[in-house]
Amino acid sequence: MTSAMPVLLKELRDAVRSRWLTAFAISFALVALALAGVQQQGDVGAQGFNRTTASLINLCLLLVPLIALAMGAGAIAGERDRATLATLLAQPLTATQLLLAKYAGLNVAIWMTVTLGFGIAGFLMALFSPVSDFGHYLLFIVLAGGLASAMLSLGVLISVLSEGRAKAVAVAMLAWFVLVLFYQLAAIGIALTVTPSGEALVLAAVLNPVESIRILAVLSLEPDLQVLGPLGAFLNTEFGAGRSAILLAGATAVWAAVPLAVAVMLFRRQDA
Amino acid sequence: MLSVRSVSKRYGKTVVLDGVTFDLDAGKVLAVVGSNGAGKSTLLKSILGLLHFVGDIEVDGISVARQGQQARRRIGYLPQHPAFHDDLSVHETATFYARIRGVPVAEALAAVEAVGLAEHAAKAVGALSGGMRQRLALAVAQLGDPALLVLDEPTAGLDVGARLELRQFIAGQQERGRTVILSTHWMEDVPAMADLVLVLDQGKTSFFGPSSMFTAAASPQSRMFLRLNGRTDEAIPLITSLAGTVTHEGEWVAVTCLAASKAQVLAALFGAGIKVLDFRVEDAALPRTIDSGGRGGLS
Repeated sequence: MTSAMPVLLKELRDAVRSRWLTAFAISFALVALALAGVQQQGDVGAQGFNRTTASLINLCLLLVPLIALAMGAGAIAGERDRATLATLLAQPLTATQLLLAKYAGLNVAIWMTVTLGFGIAGFLMALFSPVSDFGHYLLFIVLAGGLASAMLSLGVLISVLSEGRAKAVAVAMLAWFVLVLFYQLAAIGIALTVTPSGEALVLAAVLNPVESIRILAVLSLEPDLQVLGPLGAFLNTEFGAGRSAILLAGATAVWAAVPLAVAVMLFRRQDA
Repeated sequence: MLSVRSVSKRYGKTVVLDGVTFDLDAGKVLAVVGSNGAGKSTLLKSILGLLHFVGDIEVDGISVARQGQQARRRIGYLPQHPAFHDDLSVHETATFYARIRGVPVAEALAAVEAVGLAEHAAKAVGALSGGMRQRLALAVAQLGDPALLVLDEPTAGLDVGARLELRQFIAGQQERGRTVILSTHWMEDVPAMADLVLVLDQGKTSFFGPSSMFTAAASPQSRMFLRLNGRTDEAIPLITSLAGTVTHEGEWVAVTCLAASKAQVLAALFGAGIKVLDFRVEDAALPRTIDSGGRGGLS
């Protein structure tokens, strides 16, 4: 893996140089602080973190998949566009090493962005108000990172399958629309129409990492049946919060691993 | 050093390489020649393991298909169109590839200096000219002092001075015992650069042997197109007396002649007071004297 380390470090360095990730980190921090500020003004107790976390979930579910899919989509297709892929693969580096190094570098970069953005906000909030529910806030950061890893994996698969960066990003945006916006509105309804069974609901929850993370985040904060939505409520009633969390976390881990494994398999078969 | 055994490559129904077989000893320079689409770049990319192929290629006994990473440690590659990350500087690029190859950074800097890019080390690759980019690619190809250098069309787009420099570079590599395989469609490059020649014709080997044998049987030919200022009737017999075939194609006079005779034709026209308004030169098709059926045979 020594040969691949410079590729990983380059991805990280590019991400640090990239204004996009810095802008996202600052935006995350500012939005988190703003939400905390607004909630503190109308609040008598010190429930800052829990309420801020709850407010941040939707923002996180929109933005994190967007960044991760877009970055993943550029990973290999971008090198193809620049014609640098052949130069890289002409080095003592296997296709698997190159792909995994790129994934790892981008993954670390996105985790850094999420951690820095929400971490700085959390630190500042802790300075100005008594700390409570900080654990939930930390868990939320981990869940956001987990979602990023899963979406990045899907983005890399799209990248491997695409001829150029433009096509890859277009497909990634379509995937984002389907998984983030369309899924909640239509897929659950379709699942219930096709087969109105509990299995269909469980499948609908685990087949989309965005939905899995949403339910996980709500479960960890407030396992209220109404807030959980139909899928979360069903899981909570059927399996309990603990087993549901394990199931959803496992599904997210599978989402992070399987598209990446498929991407590696396909990439190894491709000509440079 | 390099063993290529029955290598074939097809894209869909199109056969790009068809059973190419040859061996190359250490310290030899092999020129792979052929017209566009003959399979030259495909062969070189197969040697690097960049393409999946049928057959077997070994570098120092290491299979490119099965142990690509180890094989590529022994290979330096100069692509036909060198491509690097435009945002990195020359120094950063050399360092990046040195780290991938497990070579000390100091060696990367020395390689940049050796190709005359030291004063441009801080410049972004995106700001380099084509020639400078190729020099950088040559520096990267030499990192780790690979035993085999694979150069894809290294003379394409080079001016006369740069081509001479490249010839000296290749000669220097050979003196150091390095093996070089280069592709070219410039027949003139062959005798000056290579010990051995492999001629590819539609993916098949039509000749493999010493370059002396190749050049004796197949003197490199050029096709020259001239636009004259009207005295065509006078010019054609004059050119015919010096060169092979002369035809009239619209406003152009097409001349097929020995590559070495080009200047002689132009000089004769100037001498006769016939103005050449414009001209262009192409390599002629490979001479028909090359046996297209067998390996190593000349008819």
